[in-house]
Amino acid sequence: MMRLRWLGAAAALFVLALFAGSRMRRLHEPRFPSLSELKAGPFAFQDAAMAAAGFRAPAADLAWIQLLQYAAGGVPELPDRPGHPYEHLANLSLRVTRLDPSFHRAVLYAAGILAWFHGIERPDEAADLLNEGMHRSPEQPLYALYLAALAFKKQGDTDRMVALLESSVDLPDTPTTMKAILANLRQSRGEYREALALWIRILDNDRDRSEHARAKLKIVELKALLARPVPKKR
Amino acid sequence: MKTIPAVFAYTFKEHVRHKAWLSSALFGLVLLAGSLVVSALAQDERARLMLDLGLAAIEAISLIGVVFLTVNLILQEVESRAIYLILTHPVKRSDYLLGRFLGTLSAVAVSMAGMAVMHAVLLGLYGGAAPGRYLAALACVLGKTAVMGALSLLLSLALTSEAAAMAFAVFLWLLGHFSSEMRFLADRSGSSLLNTTIVAFSHAAPDFARFNYRDFWHQPAPPAEWLMWTAIYVFAYTGACLALSVQLFEQKEF
Amino acid sequence: MNAIRFQRVSKIYRRSHLGRTTETAGLVELDLDVPKGEVFGLLGLNGSGKTTAIKLLMGLHLPTKGEVETLGRRAPDIEVLAKIGYAPEAAYLNRTLTGRENLRLFAALSGIPRAEREARAADMLEKVGLGKAMDKRLSEYSKGMLQRASLAQALVHDPELVILDEPVTGLDPLAIKEVRALILWLKGKGKTVLFSSHDISEVERVCDRIGILSGGRLVKVIKQDEWRGKPDYLEAAFAAAVTRTDGVGPIRME
Repeated sequence: MMRLRWLGAAAALFVLALFAGSRMRRLHEPRFPSLSELKAGPFAFQDAAMAAAGFRAPAADLAWIQLLQYAAGGVPELPDRPGHPYEHLANLSLRVTRLDPSFHRAVLYAAGILAWFHGIERPDEAADLLNEGMHRSPEQPLYALYLAALAFKKQGDTDRMVALLESSVDLPDTPTTMKAILANLRQSRGEYREALALWIRILDNDRDRSEHARAKLKIVELKALLARPVPKKR
Repeated sequence: MKTIPAVFAYTFKEHVRHKAWLSSALFGLVLLAGSLVVSALAQDERARLMLDLGLAAIEAISLIGVVFLTVNLILQEVESRAIYLILTHPVKRSDYLLGRFLGTLSAVAVSMAGMAVMHAVLLGLYGGAAPGRYLAALACVLGKTAVMGALSLLLSLALTSEAAAMAFAVFLWLLGHFSSEMRFLADRSGSSLLNTTIVAFSHAAPDFARFNYRDFWHQPAPPAEWLMWTAIYVFAYTGACLALSVQLFEQKEF
Repeated sequence: MNAIRFQRVSKIYRRSHLGRTTETAGLVELDLDVPKGEVFGLLGLNGSGKTTAIKLLMGLHLPTKGEVETLGRRAPDIEVLAKIGYAPEAAYLNRTLTGRENLRLFAALSGIPRAEREARAADMLEKVGLGKAMDKRLSEYSKGMLQRASLAQALVHDPELVILDEPVTGLDPLAIKEVRALILWLKGKGKTVLFSSHDISEVERVCDRIGILSGGRLVKVIKQDEWRGKPDYLEAAFAAAVTRTDGVGPIRME
């Protein structure tokens, strides 16, 4: 007769595993959108395969690189229609956040470009992105901050908008691109000293390495602008 | 139990001397170096990418290693008949299986540790990672590896075919990351029988999505108690698979 | 107490394939006692049941009917296995380990205290003529060296009962002579030896009794007194007792 003691041990251990699993679920639930919410498109298979294999964070990381490549010059799979720059930026940002909602930078980066990049001016798309980000990660203060800045922009209160954005510059999740956009915004308003200060902060921050080359050029440019004599008022 | 250390020791030596182990360890290091290159494209998220891709590489190599080694663990000794000389000594079959499993897991853990050291050094160059959380993430990777190893061993004894066992192991790996999706499907199904079946499957499969700490590293950290329950889950699930494996193995004739 | 006892033992192999089950008799109603201190030879054609009988003694197979006892206990018994030395027909040893490591492993599995293992492993390897090769991996050993290593692992723990499955198959005449001397030496030490063979000339030189197996049945047991001094007696008895069951006819050059 088959000895079933090991079967009994297996059953008992399995029950313990189920109990431990339920305790784990009660204590912590990873915040990932369902697989059905992943963005469709030319990279859908890559995303689904990696997510199904339990590699959502790396999938989001690769999606981030593809987003940056798109923003830098486009990717062949997603050509922009003529007259529609950054047409797919919002979708690519959503792609990252639906793989990993904790990848705040992808939303903030895309929202920053859509809302404040010169010549883009698509604040509604930016607001949609920020709202989704806030829904998935309410603990991230920058989503609410950027939405408030957008509200000031819509009201025409640029002073308060710029002040609010500048208050977030030193927060760890602020994208470097957003700092550069803000510095350029200051410069376009003739606020050269404030713009110079921002570029110096970018140059001093190791994390903003991607803008260091531009920061050096901008610092020289702004110093030259500040050195120009101010025309006398008659 | 006295024979477990001897079986453990020869198993460990056998794996470490095997070229496939060395190749996979070297490949892991190549993947880590690759993550250094890829992360350079990530602008201001370089440290995040290095962390994620590095831990993913460590897990992928460990998974492939443990599935390959455990699926072949007993089948190869049966084929070569080396198992005759082991089992004709005063060794309980349960001790033999446990010694072989622990020896294999240790060999994989050593290769993981090597990759983790290199990864930690690379991370240190780019800001580092919280040591406690890093160790917790590695512990969870080791936990997944242990569960997959035990499952693969059980499958190899149940199916007696290496290819089928590997295929089912990969299937269970994927299923283990689908637990929340399965429960979502179960809620939406109209039939109570289907609901029960899907829920049963979702609980029977290992719940990898829950202790995929490496994946939700950047989200708010779980409490310390969670880690304790995760460890209990790993020990219990691994133990259940090993107990079933012993049950099957004790009935086998050679 | 008998060293070996088969009590109406039958072993039926059942194989299922595509819905069909075929049964093959490995052993049929085997009744055999081997007292302590005896050298007993099992003679038979290929497939006659010699290896099946040995595997039943070693616990690698379980009987379909009847009881198998070794050293007074029902086989397989973990404690009794520590008193049995077994060398299969080929050296099924782990080739990634050295000769010394293999012997240390089997010494550990046999329960030899840690302090003694190294010395006994080295001593046994010297005794079987592998002193100079003990630190080489078994993958570098010749066939003859592997057979010696196999014998060494069977004897390292000084067993009471030694079971050898076709110990002289494939050996050169010098090695055959050495194995014969070993069996006689074991007998002189009061050990019980059971060995199987195809070679009538070898069994008649060392055995106290010989059993002839044919088609899984023990058809004849012959005592030494019956063949001593009669050179062709065993050969004639064997030819009369066995029936070919492998579908191969006799060689007739007429």
